[in-house]
Amino acid sequence: MIATAKRASQACIQPRACVHLGAGIVAALVFAGAAACGPGRDDSRRMPQNHIVEMRDLAFNPAEVMVSPGDTVTWINRDIVPHTATSASGTWDSGEIASGAEYRLVIGDGDNGDYVCAFHPGMQGRIAAR
Amino acid sequence: MRTTLALLLACVAFGARPAAAQADLNDLEMAHVAVTASNIDIAYAHLALAFSENPDVRNFAETMIRDHTAVNAQVVALAKKLDVQAQDNPLSQQLLADAKRIKDEMSRLRGAALDRYYARNELAYHEKVNGVVADAFIPNIENAEVKAAFEQALAIFRGHEQHARDLVAEFAEGGR
Repeated sequence: MIATAKRASQACIQPRACVHLGAGIVAALVFAGAAACGPGRDDSRRMPQNHIVEMRDLAFNPAEVMVSPGDTVTWINRDIVPHTATSASGTWDSGEIASGAEYRLVIGDGDNGDYVCAFHPGMQGRIAAR
Repeated sequence: MRTTLALLLACVAFGARPAAAQADLNDLEMAHVAVTASNIDIAYAHLALAFSENPDVRNFAETMIRDHTAVNAQVVALAKKLDVQAQDNPLSQQLLADAKRIKDEMSRLRGAALDRYYARNELAYHEKVNGVVADAFIPNIENAEVKAAFEQALAIFRGHEQHARDLVAEFAEGGR
């Protein structure tokens, strides 16, 4: 603290220079604060979430999940027959999910959208962007 | 519980002769009917895969094999757990006799005619079987685990029924 005070006093030999330096420091602090709190806030600090989708009675439950990039969607097959989770756009495919088995997908760019069970066309779900 | 009503309804649905209605159906006989009905659908699916080139028909047939095999495995596992055996009965025999006739007819067809026949038969078959399971079997099953297994299977079979309905509609729209 004492060393810092001495350096400050040495840097502020001329009072007008000290005012300009102090204003610049304050301005930098203000802009940093605005970046942290304003509308363009970086959401990367949000913890990734795990969304569970059950396959039961030939349906996806819930039918729609709201996700952000980095989130995980986990499908759990509660039926006695095998299913798949297959994106309608063809960007991802679980392959066969046996009864009692799970499939996990970490959401990346382009993974949102409708999906189906390739074995049972009536089973339809959606991954929506948060 | 002996379910004369169940057998009566089932025989009416499947067009069995009245004489068969004299017998009763217990839980083990119903399980035998369920396994027999699934095996018949698996056989129909193999025929379709042998002769159809339509991708939607083939996808449906593969699902029938996959799903009915899984349902049968569950019935067998449950029977083993309960230390019982499914029992043959007149309704199972009637189903097999009817299936032989249908398989003979399917074997003579090819192309669009086969696809249409298979889709329509699958719809009619699932409608009949699902009706019997829902209205005649499930309400009369005594064992809670057997009842739960039938209810779970019925949900799957109703999905098959809708899938077959969509296939029939697809052929109707395409004029096939």
